[in-house]
Amino acid sequence: MNPSQGEPAPGNGTVRVVIVDDHAIFRSGLKADLDASIQVVGEAATVEQAVAVIAEQRPDVVLLDVHLPGGLGGGGREVIAGSAALLATTRFLALSVSDAAEDVVAVIRAGARGYVTKTISGAEITDAVFRVAGGDAVFSPRLAGFVLDAFGTAPADIADDELDKLSARELEVMRLIARGYSYKEVAKELFISIKTVETHVSAVLRKLQLSSRHELTKWAAERRLL
Amino acid sequence: MTTVPARPPLARSSDRVIAGVCSGLALHLGWPVKNIRVGMVLAALAGGAGLVFYAWLWIMVPTADEAARRNARRPASSIAPAVSQGTGTIPAPAGPVPAPPVQVDDAGTAQGASGTAAPSPGRAADPPWFRWQSMKYGKEILLGCGLLLVAGILIAQLLGVDVPLGTLIPAAAVLGGASIAWMQLDETRRAGLVDKTKADQAGGWARLAAGLALVVAGVLVMVSGSGSWEQTWLALLASVAVLGGVVLVLLPWALKFWRDLEGERAGRIRETERAEIAAHLHDSVLQTLALIQRRAGSEHDVVRLARAQERELRGWLFQDPGRESGQFSDRIKAAAAEVEDLLGNPVEVVSVGDAAMTEAHEAMVQASREAMLNASRHGGGSVSVYLEASDGQAEVFIKDRGPGFDLSEVPEDRMGVRESIIGRMKRHGGSATILSTGEGTEVRLRFPAAGIDNAEGKS
Repeated sequence: MNPSQGEPAPGNGTVRVVIVDDHAIFRSGLKADLDASIQVVGEAATVEQAVAVIAEQRPDVVLLDVHLPGGLGGGGREVIAGSAALLATTRFLALSVSDAAEDVVAVIRAGARGYVTKTISGAEITDAVFRVAGGDAVFSPRLAGFVLDAFGTAPADIADDELDKLSARELEVMRLIARGYSYKEVAKELFISIKTVETHVSAVLRKLQLSSRHELTKWAAERRLL
Repeated sequence: MTTVPARPPLARSSDRVIAGVCSGLALHLGWPVKNIRVGMVLAALAGGAGLVFYAWLWIMVPTADEAARRNARRPASSIAPAVSQGTGTIPAPAGPVPAPPVQVDDAGTAQGASGTAAPSPGRAADPPWFRWQSMKYGKEILLGCGLLLVAGILIAQLLGVDVPLGTLIPAAAVLGGASIAWMQLDETRRAGLVDKTKADQAGGWARLAAGLALVVAGVLVMVSGSGSWEQTWLALLASVAVLGGVVLVLLPWALKFWRDLEGERAGRIRETERAEIAAHLHDSVLQTLALIQRRAGSEHDVVRLARAQERELRGWLFQDPGRESGQFSDRIKAAAAEVEDLLGNPVEVVSVGDAAMTEAHEAMVQASREAMLNASRHGGGSVSVYLEASDGQAEVFIKDRGPGFDLSEVPEDRMGVRESIIGRMKRHGGSATILSTGEGTEVRLRFPAAGIDNAEGKS
């Protein structure tokens, strides 16, 4: 649950954040937990409120609960879809108590840059916020496990569509993250730089978002996803 | 095949002279083919009865291939196997005759999802199937009696007895039509309640229509008495008009009734679900919350209770009911839960793939449990477990972020690491590597495919 423990935050300035969650207790708890360098500029409890607040505040990062009341019932996915115009400047980090595959993958495919569970510590969330604000992807071990499960653990052949399979290197990175390694530890283990690890993770995120691969669809359908 | 009451289904055999009817019949009845053929020829000489019977069977009885195909297709319906048992008696709209192949269907569906076409004797022991079978014979016996009656009447007429055919035929039509309509009552009711697939309903409608047509025609002929066509047509037109009017008037009422019924049923289902959820929450979450309030002083206990309850609730909410339980990943997760309960530190398991348990996997679960215990006890924080399994291969990684240790400094008499992890894995043809630095320890357990085979061979 700590993909980047002990690493300095990439940006030195403050990060403007909107918290979207329907539980007021959780919102206030999260606000108290977050680092002082994170400025909470807005809160929302429903899909409509969230879209409005995000459009008004244009935050750097939105901490987004997957399950939300309101809208058409699409929850966090709908908030991302409603804020599609801002996706270039506003990053979404999904935050949920659920670790069901359909919730995780649905919100990632909608455009979120990462997924963490609500049980992680304030320091870890802070770190994840900075990472997402810096344009990187945040993969928890569980999300890495889902990716490996969905894409299969065999490396891509040259003949395959590049979106449909993970390269051998990406597989290695995903495996290490699933094993609980931080980005720094992954870099050390594979003798590559942290920046390269981040590039691989972002590439995997892109594949997860864009792949229309047969097996991913099948995998998702089995879990009543699409 | 001949030792038990389960007869081979009636199907035209590929061992044929003309259409395989005789050999199929022989197989079904368990009589010698020769007898059947001779009997058929004799019957053919008796006024062509044999020929008619042969032709009828030729039309109505499927070939063995068709029967097999139909059999293989039917059980594919995953909706409530218990229900498809009942619906199995609706083949293609079979006309007024409950065709013998019906038995084929029923036997096949009773067998459920196995999908094999060949009938097996073991099936006969299945009690519900047996009940259906006897009921079906009842229908056939009834039909046979009817045919015998017809034959008797024909013979009587030949012998010169005056039989009032003008009344008997319409009456028979009415009876036949009504019985067709009624016969489907038990079937459609059962089918309609649970299995809403339209395919079967189409057959039901066809039957209803056929039965209705027969009854109406019979009644009309009876009423018009003389049997003159003109009168009959007029009466038919009139009655259709009346029926149409009645339908027009009653339809909204019937639809409303149907909708109310549906709504009530849906409501009942929701209520049952709600009650089940409430019962579960009461037994688990509420009890745990009460415990947490009483132990509020001890942070350790509260965390442990919350973790255990979270795990339980997660399992209940997100578990895929279609999945087999007792697989390798389940066992590893159970071991992780046990360690979590015992020591209070969270153990996160991420699993990719799965495998059935073997002796080697069992050893691996034990070794993983030992490694998790060590990691939780000495690492003092959360433990990450990752397992990747496929049919021939399994890997488990257990990682903590404790101060680490040097394996060579562990005293010889400490059994934990050396015996329970490394030794156990080696004995079962696997391997264990322990990598410890100042930032944490990772235990890597691995079973290559060959290792598992060897272990099985030895046992």
